[in-house]
Order: sequence, then C-alpha cells, then structure tokens
Amino acid sequence: MYLPSEKPRNLKGLSQNISRTKHDQTRFPAHKPKNSHGSTIPLIVSEPQPHNALQISGLVHRYAAGQTPVIQIPELAVRTGQQLVLTGSSGSGKSTLLHLVAGLMDPAEGSVRIDGTDIHALHGHARDRFRGRAIGMVFQTHHLLHGFSAEENVMAALMFSDIPRGSHRARARTLLDTLGIPTPTQRVEKLSVGQQQRVAIARALACDPVLVLADEPTASLDPENADVALDLLQQACRSSGAALLCVTHDRRFIDRFDRAEHLNAPHEQLQAALEGA
Amino acid sequence: MSMSDWNIVTRSMRSRLFSSVVTVLSVAIAVGLVTLLVSMRNAGENSFKRGTGNVQMLISKEPGPLPSVLNSMFYAEAPGNPIAWAEFLELKRSYPFAWAVPTQLGDSYQDAPVMSTDASFFESFQPAQGVEWALVSGRHFGAPFEIVLGSDAASRLGLGLGDTVALEHGAPRTQGGHTHDEFSFEVVGILGATGTAHDRAMFTSLESSWILHAHDRRESIFGHGIVTTIDDLIDEDMKITAVYASLGERKAALVQVLSALRRDPDWTVANPSDTVGGLFSIVSNIDQVLLAMAIAVMLSSGVSILLALYNSMEQRRKQIAVIRVLGASRKRVFGMVLTESAIIGLLGGVVGIVLAIFCGMLVTSVLAQRVGIVVEPALPLDGYLFIVLASVALSCVAGAIPAVVAYRTSVVRALRPSM
Repeated sequence: MYLPSEKPRNLKGLSQNISRTKHDQTRFPAHKPKNSHGSTIPLIVSEPQPHNALQISGLVHRYAAGQTPVIQIPELAVRTGQQLVLTGSSGSGKSTLLHLVAGLMDPAEGSVRIDGTDIHALHGHARDRFRGRAIGMVFQTHHLLHGFSAEENVMAALMFSDIPRGSHRARARTLLDTLGIPTPTQRVEKLSVGQQQRVAIARALACDPVLVLADEPTASLDPENADVALDLLQQACRSSGAALLCVTHDRRFIDRFDRAEHLNAPHEQLQAALEGA
Repeated sequence: MSMSDWNIVTRSMRSRLFSSVVTVLSVAIAVGLVTLLVSMRNAGENSFKRGTGNVQMLISKEPGPLPSVLNSMFYAEAPGNPIAWAEFLELKRSYPFAWAVPTQLGDSYQDAPVMSTDASFFESFQPAQGVEWALVSGRHFGAPFEIVLGSDAASRLGLGLGDTVALEHGAPRTQGGHTHDEFSFEVVGILGATGTAHDRAMFTSLESSWILHAHDRRESIFGHGIVTTIDDLIDEDMKITAVYASLGERKAALVQVLSALRRDPDWTVANPSDTVGGLFSIVSNIDQVLLAMAIAVMLSSGVSILLALYNSMEQRRKQIAVIRVLGASRKRVFGMVLTESAIIGLLGGVVGIVLAIFCGMLVTSVLAQRVGIVVEPALPLDGYLFIVLASVALSCVAGAIPAVVAYRTSVVRALRPSM
C-alpha cells in the first residue's frame, strides 16, 4: 500500500525517508487509511518546523463530501531550498495535490502551510496575493500568455508582487538572460517549445517565491530538452533558494532530486490491498 | 514600462482585433444614430423657430394658426383668404403694435415664392432673433417692378443685378397658374443669407403685386392690350394675406392683444414660436418611434458586446486562469473584463458622435443647398458627454455577464491539459 514495492533506487536520503516513514506511521496511526481507496503518501519525516517551505498536515481531499478520499497525506514537509520529486501514475492525484498546495482548491481536512502560513486560512484576494508572492508554478504546457513577449510574461507575474514597478523589466530581462532567452521582446508563441518552458521557469521564479510547484514540467519536451529544462529549473530554484516540489509520472528523473516520494492511485491501493489479503 | 491590468486588457482586445473593431463599430453606429436623431430633432425645431424671427403675432384670415404660420412664414402654399388694405389699416389703428408689416403672397418665379411687402419688412422684421437683413449687393426695392432676391433664390436661379423676370400667378409649382408677361421685374438687390425660409423667396413692393392683379381684373373687363398703372388700383385690388406684428417688450400688452384678437372671429392670430413648438409636439410622436428604434439599435449593440465578450471567454479561460495563478484575484479579473467593455463603450461612443457630427454636417449642407434652411445639428457639450457616458454604462451592463463568467472561471479546470 505504501512505498516499499516501488522504492526508488539511488534516491538521496532514501534510508532516512523509510525510517522516518515507519516512525510517522506509528506517530500518526489515525491518518493511516484502512482499506482506503484514497491516494496516500508515505509519512514523511521532517518535524513541523516554522521555516519549512511547505508543511502538509493531515491533508484529505475528496471530490465530494462523503466520498472516499482521493488524496490522503498525513504529513509531508519540504524544507526551504529542498527539492522533492513526487511520482505517481496517471490519476494518482499529483496535479490535484499541487492545486491544493497552491490554494486553488480547498481540502476536506488538514492544512497546507507555505513558509508557515496556512494558505487555506486565507480567503479571496488575500489568498491570491499570497499565492502570487510565495508560490511559483510551472506547467506541462507552460500556460504562457500568448500575444505577449517573453519579458511581458515574466512581468505579468511581477504585477501581483510588492516588487517596485520600476524594476520589473530589468528583473525580467536578467532572469530571462540567465535562463538563456536572448530575445526577451519576442512573442512567446514564436519561441521554440524549449524556450517557452524557460520563460515559464523565469516567470515562476520572478517574485522570489519560497516554493516552486512544477507539474510535469518535462512532459511536452523531447528527452534532450527535458534534461536541459529540468537542469535549468533545479538550478534556478537553487540559486534563488526556493524549495521545489515537482510532480511527474516519469521516474527517470528522480535521482536528480534531494528526495523522491510516490503517490499511489486509488486503484493501485485497492489492488495492493487485495494482494495483501 | 511594467505590465498592468491595462496592458492585459488592451493586448487582449488587440489579439481579437477583428471582433473588437466590429463590436466598437456596432456601438458607434447605434450611438451615431441616437445622437443624430436627438440633435436633428433639436436642430429642426430650432431652425423652424429661428425662421419666425422677432414676430410675436402673425395675423391673417387663414383657417388656423398652423397653416397661417406655414404659409406666410415658411412659404408652404399661397395663403387663401385675403385681407383688404383698409382692414389692415384699421387693425393697425386698433391695437398698440410696435410695428406691423403687411405681407402678401400669391406669386412666384420658377420655384421661388414672391413676397410682396413694404420697406418696414426690412426695417422692423428680423428674420431670426437678433439678425438684421443685409444686402450683399444692390439696394432694397423702391419703385414698382423692382425685386430683391433672397440669397438662396439668387444662387439657385442664377440671377444677378439688372436681370429681369416675369412672375407667375400662384405659389411655386401651382398647376394652372399663368405668367404675367406684360410686366417684367428688375432685380435691384440681393440679400445676404439668414438661414431661414426667407432665403429662397423674392421680395417686391405691395403696389407691384397689386398692379399685376388689377391688370388681370381690368383685362377681364376691357380685353387684352390695355395698360395698367398704379393709378388704376381700386380697393378690390389692394389686398394682403398676413400681418407680421410685434408689441416689442410690452409682454402684458401682448397677452391682452392676443386674447382680444383670438376672440375676434374675423382674425386668425398665431404666436409663431408657439405654433412651431406645437407642430413639433405633434411630430414628436413619430420622433419617439424613431428614438425607440434608435434605443433598440443601441440595445442590440449591447447584445453584440455581450456576445463578443462572452464568446471570447471560451478562448480566454486559460489566460484568466494563468493570471489567477500569478496572483490576480477574482475581482481583479472581473474588473479587467468590465474595463474591456467600458473601452468598447467609450470608443464606440466617441466614434459614434464623430459619425453623427459628420453625417449632421452632410445633412446640413444638403438642407442648406436644397431647402435653404440652416439646420445646426449640434448638442451642447454635456449632451455629447451624457451620450458617451450612457454608451459606457450600457457596455458595462452588457459586459457584466462575461465578467461574471471570468469571475467564476475555475482555474483548476481551465489549466487541465486539454485532451
């Protein structure tokens, strides 16, 4: 039901994760789903700390009230600057988890703290502003604003920050330059797919977020470009000190990250439960 | 320059340039139509009122005030029931007029009506309030068979000083009228434009007109080949058709004289300005229908804004979702869509007013050339401002539904990779 059958190899800090997983299973027995159909993640590890970039506690998400949870995460923490990859098959709720973390959806239970702030305790405008400033997002299909230049896409993120307006363009250009976009004034739809992904990375990092969420960032790239894009994303996060939570179904990249976790889809859990019975 | 909501809104409009332009145009046409209608209505009434000049009373024996004003001031048709000269003199003696100008209509030259009157017409009567008669060339008529041309009549008939014309009996375009070939009138003066119906008329002395009619009377008695002069006039020939009169500033006296004349069954008295106002209140029914149609056009342009923005919402859900992820609140996204509608309303309003002014100028020049009436289809500045504001407000109302769609856009659903 949990990680062991799919333990990633050569994963940094793996033994530590397992041991902490066991520890947490005993610490939080109430969160261990019994015959549950919901996705679960191994119970991890870090003690709740005030400066964790991300701290998930007792997170339960259902599509409708009374239904079986689709996501159930007793505890998950990502330290400041840490890079965590979350793997899982299609339908395991990876993207949903990112939406919950970004405050785009509300969980049934539990809390998600970004840099100590419970994002779901914020409402409306306050939550949107907080998301804009504290979280950067990178998507599989980039989701750039078409009709706008590369630098305007980056500046669009800065619009919602407290960073002085006068510095927006210079900041956007520096970021794009670092990420190897030599033509910041070119419209994004004229850029190659690889370049578009770089612009998306620059946009995610524009406001100096504490946490970058990446949803299948390499899925639309060929293997070579995927490597480069991931390198850039990880390097950019390291340089800015942002923590990175990357979800992917592609297990090839897991050894690049500080930590890797696996999210089981509900049907996998059911199968595991039946096999165990 | 950093990015702003304004950039996003304008860029979004530019990315859908065709749709944006068509929507702005549809609003502009509606606004233009409404503006033109409202301003033309005002202009028509003002122009008519202008034509009544400083006449406080138009006294005649016509069946009612409206035909009296239309015939004797706007040259619609030849007035019917004549007033004997002696009756006019008696009328003048009976009431304390500041001035009373005798006028007689009944002849014409081609399509120009001929007004017979005396020198007081140019001295006392102002064709429009505060506008004095002016001669462009020549002088006023003096001796019989001298004629003065209104500015429009002169230019349309191609007549100049020294030219001679023979008048026809009856109002212009009257069937069966005959030409008074025996008498030729010499053009002695050409008047400046006054912007009234008088510009298309010709002016001569009462005696000239009376002689023409005395000649007709005498021919029926003595046969062709006779000569008629001023000495042959008898009371029967000396008739007028209306009196332009004023009591000057004596408002109280005016009320008394008006009511006294109205009680007298021999006379028809009209206050020209009120009569024109009354005419426009009758016409205003039609006018309201036109206005209702213009408002319907306006509403349909509102619907076109709604549709244009609503349809664009489908394409823009992703953009809205991305902006939301970047930190924009729902209210801010709502505001952006509403701003877009307001811009459409503002542009449509301004372009519409420019269109209306341009069309108004066209209509003005056509009316001035064809009819000789100066119509100034202009609204006061706050009128234009009100129309633009109304256009913006209507557009915002139309944009509210798409804005709500934007407000309610599910970020999660919009960002889901399309299958």
